[in-house]
Amino acid sequence: MNCLDYRRQLLSGSGETDAMRVHRLQCAGCTAEWQEYTAFEGALRRALEVPVPEGFAGRMATVHAVRRRRFLAAAATALVAAGAGGYAWFARQDPLALASIDFVMKEEAKSIMMGAIPRAQAQAELAATLPIELLERIGQVRHIRPCPFNGATAYHVVLTVPQGKVTLLVMPSTPMHGVRHADKEGMHAAVVAMKNGSVGIVGADAAVVMSVAGALQA
Amino acid sequence: MSFEDLVRTHAADLYRYAYWLARDRQQAEDVVQEALLRGWRAFPRLRDRAAAKSWLFSIVRREYLRALGRAAPQAESLDGMDLPDEREELFGVEMREALLALPAAYAEPLALQVLGGFSCAEIADMIGATEGATMTRLTRARQALKRLVAPRERAGGRT
Repeated sequence: MNCLDYRRQLLSGSGETDAMRVHRLQCAGCTAEWQEYTAFEGALRRALEVPVPEGFAGRMATVHAVRRRRFLAAAATALVAAGAGGYAWFARQDPLALASIDFVMKEEAKSIMMGAIPRAQAQAELAATLPIELLERIGQVRHIRPCPFNGATAYHVVLTVPQGKVTLLVMPSTPMHGVRHADKEGMHAAVVAMKNGSVGIVGADAAVVMSVAGALQA
Repeated sequence: MSFEDLVRTHAADLYRYAYWLARDRQQAEDVVQEALLRGWRAFPRLRDRAAAKSWLFSIVRREYLRALGRAAPQAESLDGMDLPDEREELFGVEMREALLALPAAYAEPLALQVLGGFSCAEIADMIGATEGATMTRLTRARQALKRLVAPRERAGGRT
């Protein structure tokens, strides 16, 4: 280590290595350089630390929740406004919706224990019925796994939205029309038609289930 | 660490980084907000949680470039850039003014190094440059800042 090496490395801002320190302690010129450097770095840091808007961190930590709430509320409004059923939606106990609730109560834990399939595989297999990108616009996708359901293969999806967790059963080979609904033991389920197949949505809050249903069809 | 905790920890430095990219407070806030929305959706797929901090900074960078609709700022030689020197009216300016006069391609790695605490290798990876080129940018950026700022500080130090 010589003075040129010392000063060159110091200017890169990477800090002082042990070898550099040994040199500095034996060199008055580089000691002066080091003192100038530390003062300069302090001024540089203070200059880079521009004032941050008040409450910025808190707002940013919850920005996704605020945005999702607006989106889901708009989707729910659109679903109701589109005449998808209103209160009549709740009036019937649809067998497929009931089966979706039963799946959550009896099979969901086992599916999660068995582990999720890779995202790329899920993306390819769900593309025709429910693109994974659409799910990711609605919430965080926590789990996807194929499973036997209603005599065919469905895809069990666990989705976290700002209001909590919902379970989806994507059924590529079960076409249907409109929206069906069921309530059982504190759980609510809706089954909605997709372009190819259908999707069952199960959650503890009917409003959230409706919102997700609206978002999927929006 | 949850995504919310991660954001609370790094929000201030993400904002400052975005500011030094955009040089505009409102745009910096918008860029960070959009970046964090994307980040929240992608967070479950982030395997290496230890790299979450550099991941957040990278998302902010991508969002800024997306908003701008252009590629990353290229580092030209500082000699050929419109950078004020001692002969001009910015002689002995304050550090922040000097930073504002610095081309983005040089201010960005400085912000990542000083605010983010990233190493040369990490910065190189984030901005898509070699480690050597990144070290050169960091050195030249400091040299340029010293040229602008030092005269006043030295004068102040003697009084």
